[in-house]
Amino acid sequence: MSQSCLDCARRSDRVFCDLEPDALQEFDGIKSFQTYPRGSVLFREGETAHSVFLVCQGRVRLTVCSESGRRMTLRIVPAGEVLGLSAALSGGRYEVTAEVMEAVETAEIPRKELLQFLREHREVCMQVVNQLSEDLHVAYDRVRAVGLTRMRHTPMHGAAH
Amino acid sequence: MLSPYGLDIIESCLTCKMRAERLFCDLPTAALQSFESIKYATAYPKGAVLFVEGQAPRGIFVLCKGRIKLSICASDGKTLILKIAEPGEVLGLSAAVSGKAYELTAETIDPCQVNFVKREDFLRFLKEHSDACFKVAEQLSEKYNVACHEVRSLGLSHSAAEKLAKLLIEWSSKNGESLKQEPRLKLSLTHEEIAQMIGTSRETVTRLFADLKKRQILQAKGSTLVIRNKAALRTLATTG
Repeated sequence: MSQSCLDCARRSDRVFCDLEPDALQEFDGIKSFQTYPRGSVLFREGETAHSVFLVCQGRVRLTVCSESGRRMTLRIVPAGEVLGLSAALSGGRYEVTAEVMEAVETAEIPRKELLQFLREHREVCMQVVNQLSEDLHVAYDRVRAVGLTRMRHTPMHGAAH
Repeated sequence: MLSPYGLDIIESCLTCKMRAERLFCDLPTAALQSFESIKYATAYPKGAVLFVEGQAPRGIFVLCKGRIKLSICASDGKTLILKIAEPGEVLGLSAAVSGKAYELTAETIDPCQVNFVKREDFLRFLKEHSDACFKVAEQLSEKYNVACHEVRSLGLSHSAAEKLAKLLIEWSSKNGESLKQEPRLKLSLTHEEIAQMIGTSRETVTRLFADLKKRQILQAKGSTLVIRNKAALRTLATTG
């Protein structure tokens, strides 16, 4: 795959990447192209959100972790999606851990540059809102699956300890 | 204007005194004027349902006053409360943006004032006002954070005791209470509703409260709870 967004053949299929020429040019200037082998961690839950990662190729697993170290998969993210968006926008910490399942190619954008970019290109801001809405739908589905399945298995009495 | 539910209705966003404190509402003048022209100020009594999970999205609801319970439901009728929304929060956002059905049910737990905006008007408003678009992105991020927190709590907590302890610590962390030796919190939900927040039965919640009181970790003074032993509650929250 091309390291430049400008001549990327897959761009038109990807919701986030299908940008207007001037926005694309600028996006290409602020992103850094990276490859990561299977098993690498793009970011960990609890770390201050420093960047977002656009997955150009490969798949990434998002997990959440309990204090005691138990881990649960939230979802598997395919190419074309942006990771770490909500944490970067709210200026908080990553809510999940992103681990590479299949070697990935990513476009990494530091948080500050992303915020500046979004201020200058309002049409992209709408794309971000769209992606966040999709992420939220998936997260709610997960809450439904996890929360209500467990409830059904919780006995009515004496389930506390 | 004083409505039948005892609410002092704020008719115009332009003169709303609470605007500056509210995450979504603190918009630049041009955006605020545009929002004012597309919103409908409405009042609801306690127990009113704004939208139901599975319904096609009509629009968004900005909560001005009161509190709203957001829940999801299983086909057998079991309910899980995801969050109690506070004033300033925009409800129905992701459904309105994506065009997919509402994922949650929103029901008022106090008399509420809500500003409703039709979906088409809202989407056009977002395209025209990047500042508002930014605020929406922030709200969605916040909601995502809450959803991840909920998945973690429901999926990875060992016991109902652990989940209840976490919930009480979270509630007591508001208004700087957690800094006090014995933080206080006002219990505004029923045991049934607390059970629905942590995915357990009402009986379990009642028994856990009795147990916490017996162990002198909690003390009840009317509807106010006093956390007598913060350390014990924290231990419970991490180990169950």
